[in-house]
Amino acid sequence: MVFSNPVFMFQYLALTLLVYYIVPRKGRNLFLFFINLLFYGWGEPVMVLLMLLSIAINYAGGYFVDKAKRSGGRHAAPGGKSRARIPLIITIIVDIGILAFFKYIGLIISTINLIPGVDLPMIEVSLPIGISFYTFQTMSYVIDVYRDDAPVSLNPINFGTYVALFPQLIAGPIVRYKDVAYQIDHRVETLDQFNKGVKLFVVGLGKKILIANQMGAMWEAMRATGEANGVLGSWFGIMGYAMQIYFDFSGYSDMACGLGNMLGFEFLKNFDYPYISSTVTEFWRRWHISLSTWFREYVYIPLGGNRCKIPRQIFNLMVVWFCTGLWHGASYNFILWGLYYGIILIIEKFLLKNLLAKLPAVIRHIYTIFIFLIGWVIFFFEDMGEMGAFLASLFNFSDGIVGTQALTIIMRYIVIFAIAVAACTPLGATIYNKFKDKGFMWLPETAYCAGVLTVAVAAMVQQSYNPFLYFRF
Amino acid sequence: MKSKIKLLPMVVFLLFIYVLAVLFIALPKKDYSSSEKRYLAKFPKTNFETITNGKFEKEYEDFVADHFPFRNTWIGINAYSNLLVGNNGNDGIYNCSDGYLINEPVSNDNRAEVNASVLADFAKSVKLPMTVMIAPSTGYIMDNVLPMNHRPYIDDKLYEQIVSTLGDSAQFVDIRAKFKSEAKNGTQLYYKTDHHWTTPGAYTAYTSLCDALGLTAADKSSFKVEKHSGFYGTTYSGSGFWFTPADSIELWKSDTDKHISLTITEGDKSEKYSSMYFKKHLKEDDKYPVFVDGNHAVETIVNRESDGERVLVLKDSFCHSIAPFLAENFRKITMVDMRYYKNSISEMVKKGNYDRVLVIYGIDNFATDTDLAWLS
Repeated sequence: MVFSNPVFMFQYLALTLLVYYIVPRKGRNLFLFFINLLFYGWGEPVMVLLMLLSIAINYAGGYFVDKAKRSGGRHAAPGGKSRARIPLIITIIVDIGILAFFKYIGLIISTINLIPGVDLPMIEVSLPIGISFYTFQTMSYVIDVYRDDAPVSLNPINFGTYVALFPQLIAGPIVRYKDVAYQIDHRVETLDQFNKGVKLFVVGLGKKILIANQMGAMWEAMRATGEANGVLGSWFGIMGYAMQIYFDFSGYSDMACGLGNMLGFEFLKNFDYPYISSTVTEFWRRWHISLSTWFREYVYIPLGGNRCKIPRQIFNLMVVWFCTGLWHGASYNFILWGLYYGIILIIEKFLLKNLLAKLPAVIRHIYTIFIFLIGWVIFFFEDMGEMGAFLASLFNFSDGIVGTQALTIIMRYIVIFAIAVAACTPLGATIYNKFKDKGFMWLPETAYCAGVLTVAVAAMVQQSYNPFLYFRF
Repeated sequence: MKSKIKLLPMVVFLLFIYVLAVLFIALPKKDYSSSEKRYLAKFPKTNFETITNGKFEKEYEDFVADHFPFRNTWIGINAYSNLLVGNNGNDGIYNCSDGYLINEPVSNDNRAEVNASVLADFAKSVKLPMTVMIAPSTGYIMDNVLPMNHRPYIDDKLYEQIVSTLGDSAQFVDIRAKFKSEAKNGTQLYYKTDHHWTTPGAYTAYTSLCDALGLTAADKSSFKVEKHSGFYGTTYSGSGFWFTPADSIELWKSDTDKHISLTITEGDKSEKYSSMYFKKHLKEDDKYPVFVDGNHAVETIVNRESDGERVLVLKDSFCHSIAPFLAENFRKITMVDMRYYKNSISEMVKKGNYDRVLVIYGIDNFATDTDLAWLS
């Protein structure tokens, strides 16, 4: 189920909130557990079994890791941690195995088939939604228990509620168990928090329906006219895509955090104005923060991080970025996209750091924007030929500056595009924060909510064009 | 009080979702949407199989979307709010001056050439003379009313492709120049709220066709014009610009209508009528089906008083309003709509003893149609 669907907003959410607040606090996790499964199984009920399996495996993993550590006394006996390694490694292997089977089996087989003489039959599996997100969540749990960063969860219902929590189930943020462990058992919902959640949800809904979908339509329209767009047209096209993916994804994260608030949860921020970054390193501190954090904590630092010699550091970074790329999809272009960032971040870290700091801010921003736009080209095109052709069109002036079709498309979306550009900066938030404690703020806030809800529902009713970009991850 | 009023966004949100949720349950469900001309989704079949294979969920979402409370109001809000942010229309329809709602141009990537070559092959195989007439798009002729920012109409390019692909396998009737000059003279050749040509537009095309075939077109003065107001056509219902004023539709009647029989064939069933006009449709918003009852697989008009040719017409709905004029000059007109007719056309040609094949399409349809390919 997606958030911008009438069935979600006017039935699932309406029912969930109603029952959630009628049920006494003790029963709320149990209710959430079942309603999460309904959300997850909608459209593909059989996947509920996979979800339950995943919950069971990681629950057991956490249990045995904890047990092994404690064997011989309340506080871990010597050697407890090394005994705990066995259940930890088994759980991680099973988790990654499930993810690899459902998400990457096609890619793996077709890669093996590249070897001359090998011709394995293809296995068709449909990708369970959100599997990349919740697999990473469950792994974080077992690892955190192993590291003593989080308490073991003894109540399977509470643990299941965490894994399948519908707000962040299908498109993140990737909530680490240690960040919500306390909330799962002890959260207290308040009206203020609910109100905050509503505002955040509406902001996210607006980002998704009013900006992302429009920018996506602009990019689609540009792609249809192809080479006749001219250089400027092509740049506008990929900027449209950049806007689409940012507002789609961050809008979804906002909605997730907002829904979390409505149920008494606080999730960490997933985006922090990535497009205003002045270096690529900064961009990745601001983009999909929960994913970067995950890779830093569970891959980069265990590999030795930057507390080792430079060649090893470079190796570590490339491993992390290879994985980051691969996580985004089972296709070579995503790996290429990850490696592209790996290389640029290594260059920034070891070569450009001081030089960049000396450059004027404008140049640094242009440099960063250039890098992430090229990144989105690699990200978008699964077909290498099309990718190359599009990259060429960004620099090929023989196609002209801007085609007539492209110009009409640009003109049509220019207002939304300008709004999108402004919304990429903290300008709105700065103004809002200045006034947010003033007594009259209920008025603009309410007007904003009512306005966005009205227009968003209107667009929702109209739009069949409603795919979430991050659905396939 | 002050601290309570802060919660107003939450109250608005909850009211919003619960009022609409309750209305959805409470309001009666309509079977049919007249503005979309389709039956709305029914509550899906519920059993173990449909639920586990996802069919139920998909259809249930369609059901909810189709019966959303005040659906058309939302569509209107969406259309007009799009205008506010500088969009020039809604859902592929431009909001033009003078109350025109005009379809966007077809994409560069289209089937015009493919369809023309199918026609050329067909003409060769049936060994009958073929005459092709394609109605230019509204936006191409009425470019003076288009919004400042619009995609270019590529009719000229499409005509060129069609003419060169047809080569000498068919006669092509080019009505662009005549339409342009008539439009300049102030004749309303196209509806404002519908994608078809008006009756004067169809008449203009008819005279051009007659010129090309060496026939004498019935004179304008021989028709009695009947005007009906309150016509809201396809671009009206498609765009959601509900405040656009209605069109009127004209029936140009002559005595010919008294001498004809019209047979409508759908599958194995045929029904015979004694007029080309179906007045019951004048009560509806979309009145265009008043001509020959709208879309059908096969319709045959026989004029008992005429000794003209027998023609097989491959057509889309643009032909419906020109058909009464054609009846003036042809003895038998068999109109086939390839979108609905799935049997062999060559069989029909063999049995029908035709003198000629006519092809009458609107250019948008001709450039996007995927059913003409059935000809081959």
